Amino acid sequence: MDVTAAGVTTAPIPPEAGPKPARPPGTWRQGWHRFRRNTTGMLGLGLVGLVVLVALACPLLAPFDPNDQSAMMNFGSRAAPSLKHPLGTDRMGYDVLSRVVYGAPTALAVGLGAMLVASVIGMIIGGVSGYLGGMADEIMMRLTEFFLVIPVFVVILAVVRLFGIIVVGSPLERVPFLNLFTIIILLGLFGWPSIARLTRAEFLRLKHMEFVEAARCIGATRRDILVRHILPNAMPSLVVVIALGIGGAILAEAMVSFLGFGDPKAISWGQLLYFNYESLKVAPWASIAPSAAIFITVLGFNLLADGLSDAFNPRLKQ
Amino acid sequence: MGKLLGILRYILRRLLFSLGLILGVSAIIFALINAIGNPIEILLAERPGISTEAIEAMTRYYGLDQPVLTRYGTWLWNMASGDFGTSIMYNQSVGEMLSTWGWETLKIQVPAILIALSLATLIGVTAATRQYTRTDFGVMTGALLGQSLPGFFVGIVLILIFSYWLGIFPSYGAYSTRNLLWGSPLADSLWHMVLPVAMLAFFNTATLTLLMRSNLVDVLRNDFIMAARASGLPERRVVFGHALRNAFIPVLTYLGILFGLMLGTAPVTETVFTWPGVGYLYISAIQQLDFPVIMGVSMIITVMLVAATLLTDIAYVLIDPRIRLE
Amino acid sequence: MPSIPALSSDVANDAPPSRPLLDVQNLRVHFLTGAGAVRAVDGIDYEVGSQETLGLVGESGSGKTMSSLALLRLVPRPARVVGGRVLFEGRDLMALPESQIGAVRGKRIAMVFQNPAYSLNPIFSIGHQLGEIYAWHEKVGRREAWARVAELMHLVGITDPLARLGQFPHELSGGMKQRVCIARALLCNPALVLADEPTTNLDVTIQAQILELLDELKRRLGTSMILVTHDMGVVARMADRIVVMYAGRICEISDARTIFRNPQHPYTRALLESMPRVDQSYARSRAERLPVIKGRPPNLLDPPSGCRFHPRCPEAGPECRRLLPEMTSIAPGHAVSCLRRGSPGAPAS
Repeated sequence: MDVTAAGVTTAPIPPEAGPKPARPPGTWRQGWHRFRRNTTGMLGLGLVGLVVLVALACPLLAPFDPNDQSAMMNFGSRAAPSLKHPLGTDRMGYDVLSRVVYGAPTALAVGLGAMLVASVIGMIIGGVSGYLGGMADEIMMRLTEFFLVIPVFVVILAVVRLFGIIVVGSPLERVPFLNLFTIIILLGLFGWPSIARLTRAEFLRLKHMEFVEAARCIGATRRDILVRHILPNAMPSLVVVIALGIGGAILAEAMVSFLGFGDPKAISWGQLLYFNYESLKVAPWASIAPSAAIFITVLGFNLLADGLSDAFNPRLKQ
Repeated sequence: MGKLLGILRYILRRLLFSLGLILGVSAIIFALINAIGNPIEILLAERPGISTEAIEAMTRYYGLDQPVLTRYGTWLWNMASGDFGTSIMYNQSVGEMLSTWGWETLKIQVPAILIALSLATLIGVTAATRQYTRTDFGVMTGALLGQSLPGFFVGIVLILIFSYWLGIFPSYGAYSTRNLLWGSPLADSLWHMVLPVAMLAFFNTATLTLLMRSNLVDVLRNDFIMAARASGLPERRVVFGHALRNAFIPVLTYLGILFGLMLGTAPVTETVFTWPGVGYLYISAIQQLDFPVIMGVSMIITVMLVAATLLTDIAYVLIDPRIRLE
Repeated sequence: MPSIPALSSDVANDAPPSRPLLDVQNLRVHFLTGAGAVRAVDGIDYEVGSQETLGLVGESGSGKTMSSLALLRLVPRPARVVGGRVLFEGRDLMALPESQIGAVRGKRIAMVFQNPAYSLNPIFSIGHQLGEIYAWHEKVGRREAWARVAELMHLVGITDPLARLGQFPHELSGGMKQRVCIARALLCNPALVLADEPTTNLDVTIQAQILELLDELKRRLGTSMILVTHDMGVVARMADRIVVMYAGRICEISDARTIFRNPQHPYTRALLESMPRVDQSYARSRAERLPVIKGRPPNLLDPPSGCRFHPRCPEAGPECRRLLPEMTSIAPGHAVSCLRRGSPGAPAS
């Protein structure tokens, strides 16, 4: 520590104890205030919160065990909604309400899990691509474009089925919910391009800003700059795309399950439809209830994304 | 003249690139299918009881007793000359199946996309020109709702209302086996098409409307729109002649992808309505492990997509004067 | 088909008719926001004679652009014209039905915009977009329209006009684009041209050329012009009369010479003082610094009470906070709205 005559230390500040990541004062607080006043966003948050609550409390909320087929014996399957079975029973005697309730954690697991995978991959690829530029950028952009165009759906179906075959007879076979995990990971593997594109755009925008130069001047490492300075500033836009992606992943899994490729041991709303679609005429409630559940959940996330997008990039309102 | 030459050179370059892309994807597909093991063995595991002669015949027919690269080469060569192999499920030429089932899918996809495009343009223009009014918010909310609905939900609702309750439209199939509507096969066919087309059009409209509206809003903000108004041109002409043309250009890419992936984006609709299209076929093929069909469908979708992208790129060069050809 | 006079020295020497070409009375434009009404233009009155160039000066936010857009009823949402009359060629433009204003726009009153790069449609050729306007107004076919466009391109000094007809905006330089925009404005031989900062987005050397072009066109064609700008140097060169605006109201109107030699309103004086001069050197010491107008531009949502300029005015007195000054004539052709110069005031906000 050198102390000059004027009493000011001139030792260089070690980067590890560096200045706090420079973000515009109170982006998050400002955004939150704006978000609170935004009806769509709050509605979305409410819906999502509802689904999360149901998922967490499903054993408490469901009147029956989801695998309870006793209705076959006394009440009869495909029974219309009644006091005992508020949403009726389905083709195989399950109580619809219970199965819908137990479908919530599956849906959330799919949405959050897939987006977790997609975000990690997307942020790394997009961030590196945007920051480094040049050849790396070119290659990654082509890769992203390629992935964006693949008919994700058909590929997932094929891979899920074929994976199921490969796994037969191997130790992997005994992993619980393996099929579901496969779907989640595949959705993530095909969901990263949109995140990568946005991350890249944000990093491109931010890397020229003054606070990055300032960080470089005081000797912050590249990793430091990327993770502690640029990334937090890119988060607001990313969060919006991630919220949208969660809804998209839930929809995708629902469709995959509806076509019969879902995990038979997991309770998912798409699966419920797969089982009950043939009795649509006689027991429509068994198909409508899970569909409505999917709609509410995805709508919640989409509204949330809309509200977040408004909060961080306010449109000029009348 | 020089410009024409430049365009031709560009087309040639893109054509070669597209061919290379198709080749690459075909290699990936082939590799994947073969990576999971000998298809015959797998078939055996899934469906024991096939006679040994049948197995040997298939092995020889599919050339499975030959090295991988030879098989790949044979497969490519066959495909290029239009022979996609024979379906294990149906024992029919895959090429034939693709054209029959493909036609059914096109029957519902093409009208759906065209209807969606027209609706989206109208609604998008209405919303964009009334930005920030209730109409605009209504449209945006509607589109948002549309994008949050699971596909089968719309189909289910359509069937419940129009088929079961009102009894106007049939709920499955592409043709009636007896009692054709008004005694006419054409009318009967169209009658069956209505609900599936409505379902497909619904989702495409939601996405296209948002896209169209957003582009239009951006374009309408521009100075040259204000300048066109200041020059005395009527509002109609400014919006449709100037703004819409500018806003439509980015939509071309999306349209290209929509058309390119047509064959592969209808499996849910086709399952809901039991429509005999490529999506439905593909699902069964995957369930039954009918590899020739799986590979054939994948390849045809790839080719269509690459072709569509190529056409879109060429269209861009012709329409947008700002595009440089290098 | 209207033709351009080959040489019109006699046009410029004609005695101007007694009635002004354009008579703006109490024009008001408001933005309606959730937080209240923003008064972008708060009651302005001025006139433009025939063959006259009126300079409209003020800082950003003074309402100068809004007021000129309002003349053609092109004020963009969420702003709206909420009052006033604009008399032009015997009619009140504000009272015209929507179907008839189109015949005035581009034909009798035309506009040149600030940024030539953005005010031309990038996907249409020059011939196409300019020809469309001429064909629409004069109801002629394509061939005639394109011929007229070529004629005008030649007039504005564009070389090889026939080749340019088929070119697209991105193929032209900034200066050429602005010439095209000027040509567009002159297609139907309008009586009045509104030029909104026509040179601000151009290189300095090109600026001079464009100004010279505008000058020459004005002399040859006898068109009147309203030149909106924040640049006193431009109005010094181009304007016959000058209107100085601040916070949506007019401070001072007079002919150019008087404004520069004998400015009365404190804002006008401050503006002139803050113009950098070539023959002066500016240093960092207080005495020789380039003068600035102290304070900040007014918040139009909640404007200062009384005279809008009083928080920044070196001569402000106690009454300036209470009373809103009205425009008063202090000499023939010279009007000012300042309580300290004798304007009466009304206790309004």
